[in-house]
Amino acid sequence: MSIDKELREELRQVSASMNCPPELYGRVRQSYQHYVNEKRGRFSMKKRILAGVIGMAILVPSAVFASPYLADMIFGSVETIEQYGGTQEEYQEIEAMLQVAKGKLTEEEFQEYTELTKQLMQLRLKITNEYGVSDVKKLTPEEQQQWDELGAKLTPYFEKITGSTEP
Amino acid sequence: MNDKELLPWLEKATNGDESAFELVYQATHEDVYRTVAFLVYNKQDIEDIVNEVYMRMWRSFHNYDPSRPFRFWLHGITVRLVQDWKRKAWRRIRLFERNRQMTCEEFVWTDKAVLQSEMQHDLFSLVRQLSYKLRVVVILRYYHDYALEEIADMLQIPVGTVKSRHHLAMKELRKRFEMTGGDAYVH
Repeated sequence: MSIDKELREELRQVSASMNCPPELYGRVRQSYQHYVNEKRGRFSMKKRILAGVIGMAILVPSAVFASPYLADMIFGSVETIEQYGGTQEEYQEIEAMLQVAKGKLTEEEFQEYTELTKQLMQLRLKITNEYGVSDVKKLTPEEQQQWDELGAKLTPYFEKITGSTEP
Repeated sequence: MNDKELLPWLEKATNGDESAFELVYQATHEDVYRTVAFLVYNKQDIEDIVNEVYMRMWRSFHNYDPSRPFRFWLHGITVRLVQDWKRKAWRRIRLFERNRQMTCEEFVWTDKAVLQSEMQHDLFSLVRQLSYKLRVVVILRYYHDYALEEIADMLQIPVGTVKSRHHLAMKELRKRFEMTGGDAYVH
């Protein structure tokens, strides 16, 4: 027999007597379970990161577009009403009301509503002194008429928003 | 079950299917264990490496090229991990009581069954005395029947190096085999 054949034969015979100890199975299985848990953990971590990225992608542009207060569309900025004795909280209240309106009205209605409110508020600011006291008598007759008209036009919107007729 | 049929199970196992894991383990563990046991002698180390081979199997399955035989990939992982272990062991030995380790290792830890085989099989006992670099070529060539080119690919060394190691190993085996009186077989 050549040494090659002899070697093959001996290695085959010897390997047949080298048996993997059965207790090794438990150990390999444990490592496997550890691997599976780690993989699952990593997977859900990936998902969480992905969700975070998507969330950011949605939030960032909407934050950019929404960051001007709705109330800014009417007053320009919070400083405008502060000049007339308004406070930050009142501004926030108006803001909240506008947000509600935005939710309840259609886009067209909301645009109309903000436009009318804007006109009304401009008149209102005209008649309001620096202590926040309004006096309708300060308006010219034309302005008074406009005031009434605006009030009438806004009423249905208020009804829609709050369910009450009071402006 | 042949290796082609094993692949879908291996994929399932890497995705966390425990019954698939069991099947893959049953189909491969003797092969992995024996390959490692031919290359490393310390019983505890063999088990550590086998465990590590399975870990590597799950983690790098996505790197497996399905156009190549599964066993080739598996043996590649096994041999690389044995080599990693050798490197680490060498460092460990250098740091702690190198001499004591080297003299005790083979006698204290070797599996009884292997010792028995060694007594009954002269040639095998000679293979075990070869240096690791020569032995790994002999095992891959004569136990796993790989061509020298495949061995070069697996060990990531030039074919010329494999050829010279193979030649050297056989020369050594022939020489020692004759000395132990087994010359009647060597022709």
